[in-house]
This record gives sequence, structure tokens and C-alpha cells, in this order.
Amino acid sequence: MDVLQYAIRKLIGGIPLILGVSFVSFLLMVYFGPDQTFELLGKNPTVEEIAEVRRQLGYDRPFLMRYGEYLQEIVTLDFGLSNSTGEPVSAMLARTIPISLALVTPGFILGNLLGVLLALIAAYHRGGWIDKTIMGFSVVGMSVSFLIVIIAFQILLSSSFGLNLFPVRGWNVHSLQDYVMYVTVPTLASVFVALGYNTRFYRAVLVEEMTRDHVRTARAFGIQPGKLLYKHILKNSAIPIITRIMFSIPLVVVSGSLLIESYFGIPGVGKITFDAITTGDQPVLKAVVGLTAVLFVITLLATDILYRAVDPRVSLK
Amino acid sequence: MLPISEKTMPIKLFLSVLAVALLATVGCTDEQQVTVQRATSAGPGLKVFKASLDGAPSTIDPAQSANIYANTVVLNAYDTLYRFKYLARPYVVTTNLAASMPEVSEDGLVYRIRIREGTYFVDDPVFDGGIGREVVAEDFVFSLKRFFDPTQRPRGTWLWQGRIVGLDEWKVAGSDYDQEVEGLRAIDRYTIQITLKNPYPQLIYTLAQGYSAIVPREAVEAYGREFSSRPVGSGPFRVLSYDSSRIVFAKNEKYRQVPVDIFEEGYDRATQGFSGVEAIHGRAPPFIDRLEIHFIQENAARWNSFTKDNEIQYLSVPNEQVDNILLSKQPIRPKPEIAAKYHFYHGTEAGFVFMTFNMSLPDFGYSEDPERERRNKALRCAMIKGFDWQRRNESFYFGLGQIFPGIITPTVPEFDPELSRESVELDIEGARKLLADYGWTAETLPELAYATTAGVSQRMFYEQFRGFMKKIGYPAHKIVLQQYATFGDFSKDISDGVLPFIAKGWGLDYPDAENTLQMFYGPNGSPGANDANYSNAEYDRLYEQAAVMQPSPERTAIYRKMNQMVIDDCIAMSGLSRTRIYLWHKNVIGIPDREIVGGFYMRFVDVDNSAGAN
Repeated sequence: MDVLQYAIRKLIGGIPLILGVSFVSFLLMVYFGPDQTFELLGKNPTVEEIAEVRRQLGYDRPFLMRYGEYLQEIVTLDFGLSNSTGEPVSAMLARTIPISLALVTPGFILGNLLGVLLALIAAYHRGGWIDKTIMGFSVVGMSVSFLIVIIAFQILLSSSFGLNLFPVRGWNVHSLQDYVMYVTVPTLASVFVALGYNTRFYRAVLVEEMTRDHVRTARAFGIQPGKLLYKHILKNSAIPIITRIMFSIPLVVVSGSLLIESYFGIPGVGKITFDAITTGDQPVLKAVVGLTAVLFVITLLATDILYRAVDPRVSLK
Repeated sequence: MLPISEKTMPIKLFLSVLAVALLATVGCTDEQQVTVQRATSAGPGLKVFKASLDGAPSTIDPAQSANIYANTVVLNAYDTLYRFKYLARPYVVTTNLAASMPEVSEDGLVYRIRIREGTYFVDDPVFDGGIGREVVAEDFVFSLKRFFDPTQRPRGTWLWQGRIVGLDEWKVAGSDYDQEVEGLRAIDRYTIQITLKNPYPQLIYTLAQGYSAIVPREAVEAYGREFSSRPVGSGPFRVLSYDSSRIVFAKNEKYRQVPVDIFEEGYDRATQGFSGVEAIHGRAPPFIDRLEIHFIQENAARWNSFTKDNEIQYLSVPNEQVDNILLSKQPIRPKPEIAAKYHFYHGTEAGFVFMTFNMSLPDFGYSEDPERERRNKALRCAMIKGFDWQRRNESFYFGLGQIFPGIITPTVPEFDPELSRESVELDIEGARKLLADYGWTAETLPELAYATTAGVSQRMFYEQFRGFMKKIGYPAHKIVLQQYATFGDFSKDISDGVLPFIAKGWGLDYPDAENTLQMFYGPNGSPGANDANYSNAEYDRLYEQAAVMQPSPERTAIYRKMNQMVIDDCIAMSGLSRTRIYLWHKNVIGIPDREIVGGFYMRFVDVDNSAGAN
């Protein structure tokens, strides 16, 4: 019951956040976003044709009126039709978000699990060669451009110049086997990059926990390393780890991964978001921004509840 | 501490949700995914051609098919009255849905076109019983009227604006489709009559463009704006699935059976015999069961997919691979290992890259002060002399581009190979002298905003341009880069006429020099195609004179005179037509092409599935 009350309170409290985010982003879209008028016009347009397209795009209407319509769209989850493709935005998102989700989820989970694991090992051997080796690889993962990593993995694992084990691109997924074939290389590329950032972050968190008195005491009692790491260090470091993981989720779900989707020819939400940004397709942009804001509020709520689950001292009041 | 079950519950719950989500995503349960599965599960023995394009269409509604990507798709899903011959170069128009070439009245104003009987739209729920009905003349009338209905967001109106009797007035009266248009009528079930206000020799070309593809009224009305992603046509293929990464077609089994005569199509055994296209002679296209067009903007991904053998089978070679595949550039020849593995073809693009000064701005263009105008012209001419086209070609186009003077490109019949090349030859001393003679010094030269979209290549173009100008004495700090985050914003400023200097590319809509000459016709000034805002009464008079003339030596002479005017007035740094190199797998029988409107060739492609064909 406490949790339910807290959830309702938190969701109501999230409304100003959604209003703020939607207002600022809409302001930026309207006054600094690309003007789509001439993308929709042919050659030699007349003044009347230009005015007509601007009217159709809503550019001639007052800002507040347009913002009011945007809020209504967020509430009803009906964002109208894309100005570029003419498709209903909700249908575009329903088609692309599951694909992006299926694409990035394995990498997201593996990147975080392996990151925690490597961070534990590095933290346990702090200052030693194992720590230095892991941190060295982390720096490599962080330093190399994601684009280069994608191309390198594509050539190495998929192309005829490399091992030729997986498809270069595409998303013809009809079975688990297909799924494994299409998702492996993108997953490896994203894990390679994510591991660098995750491992460094988690190591810092774990090292800090290791210096605490209760860990020293546990060590003095001769507790096994595995138990020490899991029970006394990892569990007590759960809050910053959960925070980092949870706050990545909205971006993973709604924004997808543009580079991976582009290079691997995967029709996910990242690609349509990027196209909407560059062309100024406001219905799509409004949907992506609005949904991200809503997801952030839900994530905030879920994170707080998870805090409580891992640390009973945390109060939901 | 929480009890054990409570401790593990969040993890179990999370894993359960994840498993369900992944299975729901991976498993094909909804209608669209079923369609995709049907589209992609090519069975053994099926002939599949997988082509690639370096960009994607944002819409596949013929009324909005403003670029090569949309045209390529539209021309395979829909029918046009005419098309370009498969193999003939220069491009020649031939019949498609039209049963014959148009009957044209003696005054060139009335076109009567008979369409083939027995052509059907693909099956779709919008038709009675879901069965595609026959294509009739009234469908063409409806399709063309859409360009004069603002609610359809048409982009090809310029092709017919002010040309057809009553059509502009029909738009002003509210675009009521039930109202007849005097100059655009179906005079019986299979005959179209178009009445022009003035002769329009390019009309036939417009009827081969994706814009003029024929759509059924039922689908446009039923799907509304969604029609732009739900094609219902009568072309050689029907669309199975379409998204941002590819479009999948199946052979349209109802497509009319018209055997192809490759000799009529312009086949030249000496230059095209290698492709095996003789195998399709006498057979009725389309020959493949499935057509996939993959939209791959990233050159590395396109190349890796092409060289993999079981993915895309055709590509236009990306710039960074040119050195890897060519044995020599003069003449263009592939390396033996490339020639052994792939078919190879190259040609000059039907278009060009060039730069124009905006004549409406007084810093470089027209001025009320005659003396300033004289000096401005000298400044423009000096800058043109200082531009090193040869270096530009070598730096960015591997030295393969064709540099030519003026704005009549090498791919149109009106091109003059004998025209003086002075305007494209580097003359640094001449440029410096011209500047000095007209009193231009480093202090007095105006600042030039070099506008472009953001990007590494664009930045390199700018830096090279600035380097060229520095050599003629133009201070580097006076040539300022003005970058735009998006093409839309860049287009807006071009259309608003606020940019002093515009670097751009132009792909020909049809093989007639009128298509490039109209870019300098006064009434087409900003926001029209004449973004140079060139205004020359004599040029405009000649344009109007030539616009109603059929192709002839007299018309060609007028075109060339206009071309010379643009050169003499130093309006543009022009130009260069790039060389395109195509590669395709050996089991693909055909000659690909993406120029002019692109896409017509795909219906003639065959695939040899026999062992060892690739």
C-alpha cells in the first residue's frame, strides 16, 4: 500500500517534469529546429504554395496553441502523421521500438553484467596487474570511436574480408536462430564500447565500498573473497549501480542506437529519430521527446522502488 | 533483511519481463511482421535481385517522388505512360503503359494518348472484393490532377504549371476532382487527351517521370496521407514491405505480358554484350520473383554487404573504393580480380556540380551603380578564372569527372564539345590582372559567405575553394564558412535568396538542356530554381522562344547562345559531371543505371541461379 501511494505521489510529482521537458524541447523545435517547408515543396514554388505548406505544417499558428496541442497528443498518445512519410507516428514507433529493444537489450545486459564483474575483479586486485590490465582495456573501449568499432567488427566477423560468420546487415528475424545471427555483431560492438565506461564507473564505486570499515572487518574475519565481493561489497554498492542502469533505459528504449541501426541496416527507432531531427519532422520528434520524458518519470519511480528493494533503510516517504 | 523469496523476486520478475519482451519482438505475430516474413523467406529456386541505393526515400507517393530514391521505388511499383529505353544512350523515350507514342496535333497543342487495355492494379482492400481493377484513362487524369490539389502535398507541380488548359484554374476553384478540366480529359475508357496552352516539347519526358505514375483514386481517398507509404500501383512489382532500411517487392503476376526486343531497346553488342542481356530477348518482363532495394547510406556497410556474395548484388561504387578497384583511370579499367568476379560498367552522370553567385545581392551581383556592377562582373570573372577545376576533379572525384564549360551537360544532345574551355581553365595571372584592372585590392574585396551543410566533405570543399581564391589575392579571412546543421535550413536560405554564393549539384529530370537552362530563367528566381537570380532580358526572351520549339538544330543553336550568355556574364563556376562506376554480381543479367529518373532497368533484370553463375 505504501508503495502504491508512493507511486501515485511520484507520478503526480512527475507532471511538472514532463511539462518542463516538453516545453523546453518544443520551444527548441519550433524556434531552432529545421524548417521543413522547402523539403516538401517542388521546384519553382509560388508564394501561395509556400504559404500553403507552412499552413499545413502549422508554422503559422501561435506557439502556445501548438504547445497545447502537443500536450494533448502526449495525453492521448496520438501524435498524428509524420510530415515526411505520411505514416501515423504511433504506428512508426510501434514498428520500430520493439526492433530497437530486441537489438540493444542483449548488449545492454551483457555490458552491465560484464562491467560489474570486471569491476569487481579489478577492484579486488586494486593496483595490481589484473586491475591495470582491465583498466587498460577499458580505456581502449572508451577511446576508440564507436563508428570505428562498428566497422571493425563488421569487417572482422561479417564480411568476406574477415571470418564471414554473420550477415553484414539486415533484420530478417523469424526464429531464435535468425535473431542470434543478426544481433551478435551489433551486440559485441556495443558491449566492447560500453564495457569501458561501465567497468571504470563500477570499479570506482566498488573501490570506495572496499575501503569501508565493515569490509575490513569482514576480511579480518576471514570471509571468502567471493562472499565478500558479493555480499559485503556489491550489495552495498547497488544504489549507484542501479541508478546508472535505470537511467540508461529510457534512452535505450526510445532513442535506440542510430549508428548501429544505420550500419547494420536495422529499421529501428534510432534511425527514424535521426531522420526526424535532420528533416525537422516535428510529429515524430514530439513523440520521441514526449515519450522519453514520460519514461524518465516512470524510471525515477521504478528506481526509487528498487532502492527500497535492495536497501530496506531507504524510505518511500 | 528481506526473506529469500522477496530478495529474488525483482530479479525473476525482470528476467520474465525481458524474456517475454524479446520473444514478442522476435516472434512474428502481427500483420506487418507476417508480411515481412512472407517477403523475406525466399524459397529455393526463386530469382531474387538485391539492389542498393546510397539513400532512402522518405515517401513513395508518386506525387512526392522528388528524388532518385523515391523515383526508383515508384517506377517499379507504378506504371507511367512512357519510359526511357533500357539500353539506349543518349536516353530515348519509348512506350510503357501507353500503347503508342502520342498523336500530336500540328500546332503541337493537343496530345492524344491511347493506353494499353488489360492492365490491372495490384490487389488491395480498397478495391471491390480486394481485387485490383483495370487501369483506365481516367486514372491518369486523376493522378495528374493531384498535383494541383494542395492537400496532396505535391512536389512535381512545376512540370505542368501554366501548361495545361484549365488545370491551374481548376486548382484556384478548389480542386474538386469531380469537376472536369478542359485540357486534361479521358475521352474514352482508354484514351487520354491533353490540351496545352503553348507547345511543350518536354511534355513527353514528364510522362516518363515517377511524378506522372498512375494511382487509383480509391487508394488515395481511402488511405489519405498514409498512401505515401502504402503503394497501390500497376507496375511490374508489388510492394510486400517497406521500412527505412529496405523495400521488398514481389513480381506482379498480373503485369501485362509484353515481350522485350533488346534491339529496339538500344542494345549494342560491342559495349553491352558482356552483360548477357541477350538472354532476355523475346521474353516478357519482369523476370525476377523478388526485388529488394536496400537503402544503405554508409559506404563501408554497402561495400561489405556487396562483397559478401550472399547479400546485395549491385552497387554504385563508393568514392573510397575507386582506387581499390581500378587498374587505370584513362581509360577506366577494372583490376583483373574485380573483372573476374563482378560485372563492371561506368558512365557520366546525367547532372553536374557547380557554383553560382547570387546576382540579387549587391556585393557580387547587380548594383544600381553601373560602375560597381562593372567591377562586380570583373570580380566574378576573376574568381571563375581562379577556380581550379582540374584540382577539384583530382581531389574529390579521382580525376574521373568530366569538366565542361557552361551549363549544358555532356549527357544531353545539345552539348557542344567544341565550346571554348576558357571558363573552366585555371588562369591565376589573368584573374589577378582582372582584379587589379578593376581596382580590387585585399582591402576592398567584399566578404564572401561560403554556405554549406555541415560535414567533413563540405568543409574540405570550402577549404579548397578558399585556397584557390587565396592564390588570386583574395584574403583567406574574407571567405567565411557558413554551415547549416540541416539541409532544410540550407534550402530555406537558398530559397529566400539570402546566400551570396551557392555550391550545388543538379540531377537532370529529363535529357534536354532546357532542364538546366531554366535554372537561369529570370521568372524562376528565388524561391524558384534560378537561385542565382540571373536576370537577362535577352536570355529570358530566348528561353521563351526555345521553350515551345521541338528539338531541332535551330533550338540547339538558341540553347547554346543562352549557355554562352551565362558564361560571358560570369554567373557560375561550372561545371563537372561525375563518373559513376557500377558493379554487380555475375549471376545478375542486366545493365543497371540510376541516371535521369532511375529504376526502369529493374524490370529487365534476370538472375541466373544455376551453379557457378556467380
